[in-house]
Amino acid sequence: MALDDDSLNLAPREAVPTAQAVRSQKRRWKPALLLVAILVFGGVVVTKFLSSAIDYYCNVDEVGVRSGCEGTRRLRVQGAVDEGSLKKAAGMTIFSMSFNKKTLDVRYDGDPGGVFQECIPVVAHGRMVNGVFLSDRIEVKHSNAYSTENKDRIDKAEAAACSLPKL
Amino acid sequence: MNSIHPFPSPVDTPTGTRASRGLGLLVFLGMVLLTLLGLFFTDEDVVQGSTVRLMYIHVPTAWVAYLAFIVTAITSAMFMWGKQHSLTFDRIAGASGEVGVIFMGLSLVTGSLWGRLTWGTYWQWDPRLTTTVFLFVTYVGYLAVRDLGGSHQQRAKRSGVVALLAVLEIPLVHFSVVLWRSLHQEASVLQPNGDVTMDGLMLFTLLFGVAVFTLLFAWMVLHRQRVLTLADAIDDGGLEAALQERRSEAN
Repeated sequence: MALDDDSLNLAPREAVPTAQAVRSQKRRWKPALLLVAILVFGGVVVTKFLSSAIDYYCNVDEVGVRSGCEGTRRLRVQGAVDEGSLKKAAGMTIFSMSFNKKTLDVRYDGDPGGVFQECIPVVAHGRMVNGVFLSDRIEVKHSNAYSTENKDRIDKAEAAACSLPKL
Repeated sequence: MNSIHPFPSPVDTPTGTRASRGLGLLVFLGMVLLTLLGLFFTDEDVVQGSTVRLMYIHVPTAWVAYLAFIVTAITSAMFMWGKQHSLTFDRIAGASGEVGVIFMGLSLVTGSLWGRLTWGTYWQWDPRLTTTVFLFVTYVGYLAVRDLGGSHQQRAKRSGVVALLAVLEIPLVHFSVVLWRSLHQEASVLQPNGDVTMDGLMLFTLLFGVAVFTLLFAWMVLHRQRVLTLADAIDDGGLEAALQERRSEAN
């Protein structure tokens, strides 16, 4: 069968816009808007769900009070290490941490290391046993403040850190 | 059979121009200065010590990833709603998406290292880290969608839809530390109340890092989109060559 050149020309053709095509293009906005609305709604639902389900920690004042922070279960508890409370004995690190005027005694089996120190917020993982929080993991939750370690200012900065109202 | 060489030669069509070489040089000098500032001129943080120097890389990489994904969304929209449906916008979107994934990955790695030194752990499934890795995976998916095949126009439309949806995750990632209780600290610079909780030279170095990494992003996207243009030309050339071959067989 003889074929002329045009019949073999497979190059993409330019689409000629017709009135129907323009209307069809306008109609495409509707499902797009619907999709966006569904996504926004889904985002709100997920946000609300996650707010109640995945808070990374309970604050000290919520232990045994807030739902999900029952003292009978394994917890992650957040608070600031109290000034003057940090002691080390028999391989244990003992300290108290506070949040919102409530204090919790903590015993950690080992040395937390890193930048762990007094007056900074930490998250302790563990369980409540006889009113003491027995922790097997400590994470330092450093703040969003960054100050230069200027030797003239260290004492002042440390004093300021502990004089802040308890988180 | 005719011998056809429709492919553009990389020697004849380099991706560099005088302007892009100048930009590259500027980025190089900026990186050198940033290294000096970050490692030698800035002091240690009063709590974190020298660890804080990771911030001068971690924050700019996260910023560039956000920027890249926003550029991907904007250029995808420009392709989809522009009168010409120009594939140049699609290629910029693709290039920006690729660069964004690289920088998001770097941000995750540097953040993990920083976390080990300050938090005491490389990783925790806390809201910021979880949403960030979700964003990273989404854009890896975006790049996968770009590679699904079909014509350039199909690729642009398909990936454009993904880009416009995926960009909505960025506010969720950025505000995750405000919306939920997170191990990750809140923002030090872009706080809702306008406060900046960072000392002078540290802040300057951080902002300088953000500026240099932004220029690096521009340089990388510039070259990458030119490479993608050449790749598309090779694809088109390959198709044209196949058609010509068929024509010659028919004759």
